[in-house]
Amino acid sequence: MRRYSYLAISIITIIFFSGPDTQAQPNGWEALFFRANEAFKGGHYQDAIDGYEQLIQNGYENGHIYYNLGNGYFRLNQLGKAILNYERARILIPRDADLNFNLRLARDQIQDAIAEPQGFIQMAFFWLDALSLQEVFWGFGIFNVLFWGLLFIRLFQHSEWSYYLSFVFLVLFLISGTSFGLKWYQVRTESRAVILENEVNILSGPDIQDTVLFKLHEGSIVHQERSEDGWVLIHLPDKKRGWVEAESVEPIKRGPAVLPVGVQN
Amino acid sequence: MKKSILLITLLSMCFHIPCLARGDVSVTLKLDRPEATLLDSITLVVSVSGTRKSDATPVLKGLDDFEVRAGGTSSRIEIINGKVNAGVDYTYTLKPKKAGNFAIGPAEVTVKGKTIKSNTKTLRIVKAVQSGEVDRGPLFLSATLSPKQIFVEAQALYTLKLFRQTRVGDISLGLPEAEHLTFKQLGKPIEYQSVYKGESYQVLEVRYALISSKEGLYGIRPSRMSMTVFRSRRKSPRSLFDDPFFSFSSGQPVTIASEPLELNVLPLPQKGRPTDFSGLVGSFKIKAHLEPTKIKAGGSATLTVLLSGRGNVKRIPDLKLPELEKIKVYADQPVLTEETDARGLAGSKTMKWALVPEKEGEYRIPSLSISFFDIESKQYRVLKSPDLSMSVLPVENAQTQISPEVLKGQKSEGSRKQEVKELGQDILPVHTSIKDLHPGARPDIGGMVFWAILIIPFFAYAVTFFIQKFHRKTTVSVAAARARRAAKILIQECHKEELSSNHLTSAIRRYLNERFNLSLGSLTPDEAADILGSRGVSGKTSERLRRTLQELEDAIYTGKGQELCDMGGDIPELIKQIEKEIR
Repeated sequence: MRRYSYLAISIITIIFFSGPDTQAQPNGWEALFFRANEAFKGGHYQDAIDGYEQLIQNGYENGHIYYNLGNGYFRLNQLGKAILNYERARILIPRDADLNFNLRLARDQIQDAIAEPQGFIQMAFFWLDALSLQEVFWGFGIFNVLFWGLLFIRLFQHSEWSYYLSFVFLVLFLISGTSFGLKWYQVRTESRAVILENEVNILSGPDIQDTVLFKLHEGSIVHQERSEDGWVLIHLPDKKRGWVEAESVEPIKRGPAVLPVGVQN
Repeated sequence: MKKSILLITLLSMCFHIPCLARGDVSVTLKLDRPEATLLDSITLVVSVSGTRKSDATPVLKGLDDFEVRAGGTSSRIEIINGKVNAGVDYTYTLKPKKAGNFAIGPAEVTVKGKTIKSNTKTLRIVKAVQSGEVDRGPLFLSATLSPKQIFVEAQALYTLKLFRQTRVGDISLGLPEAEHLTFKQLGKPIEYQSVYKGESYQVLEVRYALISSKEGLYGIRPSRMSMTVFRSRRKSPRSLFDDPFFSFSSGQPVTIASEPLELNVLPLPQKGRPTDFSGLVGSFKIKAHLEPTKIKAGGSATLTVLLSGRGNVKRIPDLKLPELEKIKVYADQPVLTEETDARGLAGSKTMKWALVPEKEGEYRIPSLSISFFDIESKQYRVLKSPDLSMSVLPVENAQTQISPEVLKGQKSEGSRKQEVKELGQDILPVHTSIKDLHPGARPDIGGMVFWAILIIPFFAYAVTFFIQKFHRKTTVSVAAARARRAAKILIQECHKEELSSNHLTSAIRRYLNERFNLSLGSLTPDEAADILGSRGVSGKTSERLRRTLQELEDAIYTGKGQELCDMGGDIPELIKQIEKEIR
């Protein structure tokens, strides 16, 4: 019995104390962050943007930096890039009040009325929109430990309370597990992209000679399907589809950043 | 009781509708179409709203050149969104005496001694052009096109008239199809009386706007109209039973076609074409206004631009307001409205911007311009909205301008809460805390910590579960091995020569102690039988062992313990039976 207790304590210790080492940051990045903030306050928005972009390129890819970057683009009247970075920030810090305020303000300025319909999953798992993938994962991790931990205890002690509690934990484990799976799928298959130019023609094919099907304006969010020779096939929630030049649109999901030495994402 | 009150209320409402509605009486004059020929009849309706009774029939002005025939009166009650509206319609049929443009109306209606005048309408009467010498019979379809030459994107009027002297039903229409040509129906079909080649006809007229997206000479094939024609079997001209409902008249399906027509579509001229030509073709006008023109810094004024006209209104672009220094501009969603009337397609687009000046001063709102091709003058024109200006007051000055009366009023209503008004809009500032650079430990999804958190709890449980299970299994197998060894030893003992009762008794007891992991020194025959019984051995076998042990004990206690015993041969078979039955 004592042997098993030691084993359990060791496992818990490993889980809770083996987080990433975030202390080993080079001070230069903090100085760059400070300089970018000062540039923003001084009205040098392009300098601030350059600073934030550099931080992101070097692995400081977090919601607050994307938020600041969005603010910089907003000040330069680049609505598309502002919304793009606010949306990227929202994936990481979805409940940040400042971010949601600014994003709402930016969205109000979009010319195109494109409504994203709510599906059954969005309604049933309504909390997913307000939680980041990391948060959903931690929720699942906690219930995972509690559920299996309780089953572990029941190997040695068959008490009545543990029997009923194990059912409660099973339900929470299944809900949190499904939530995590859905959120993970949502993030992995993120296909949304933002129109960056003031007005773009959406064509029937990947050629400038093709018929103009409709027009979209800066900041509008579309869904990207595939790209081909510098053109991107997009669709809207109402099933309108067409091709747009790749430089006019940028996906919200970006590729993995290069991590500096000693920095974990 | 409640139901009775409700009924009385409803009845009293019905009876008092004229009284209730009398407060807002209005008169409207309507014509079924703005243009007709000398041979056609025109329907005129005078609608009186707000009352169902007038002192006398309406007096109609501007009808000197028409024969007027009263067509009856109909009263109506409408309840729209809980608002009761009662009215009466007077219908007249006009027969023109001469061609020309006429101002019809106003109609004057006297209600309770007060005379109310209606609007006026313009009616154009043209001479009837009836080409062809052939009598076209009691049923035919006629198509006309006006004009026959248009510019690209301009509209021509395609009019279909069904002339009939017989009763028809189930009418369906097939319009001709041609590439780059679009038909758009203008209003509902209208019916009137007309004369063709001296014969009186009932005419059903339907109008379409015909628009071409490409230049060229288009041949418009005939339109086809299918219907059921009812011909009376009886000789009597009119009878109550001469109606399809009573099946005394027979229906015959008939399809008739109009004449083919030609439309010449000209390209838009290159000469004078503005570089930013919007593609609008028709006649348009622009209006702009700013409200309010005097505001506080940080307040909001609304700039409204209305672009309206007749033509391809769908192509009215969204106008762009240039950047204004020290003024933030928030564009509203433009609203496009399309209308159709007897003359074609018309409509307007309303664009609005919220202007929020940041500082006080005098601001000029630049004019907005748009180019279009004017089909009247056949040249390009540029429309410009008027220049507008806005006075922006500093916030302090604006406060000092509040009149003492207003201040007094505010004081007296000191306890009343006011709605918080939004004076401006701006983003919230950047996040500057160093914590925002390091937002805390985040496990990399798919990394080591991620898998550790997911797998270790399950793994720990599974390993412990199997260890526990293995341990149980091992305990059972150790006991079994011990049993096998004990049985083997006993059987080997029994096969020895010169076996005494003492020897056999202690060998069986050793077997039982080893087999069942007992620590008893010596078992009585009954105890041994009980133990076997508790381990699932049948009563018969237990009894056999008890008896064997009893016989051996008897031999020992009668002093024959050291003598040779012949029971060694039976015991191995008994032990095998016990091992077989034991649980």
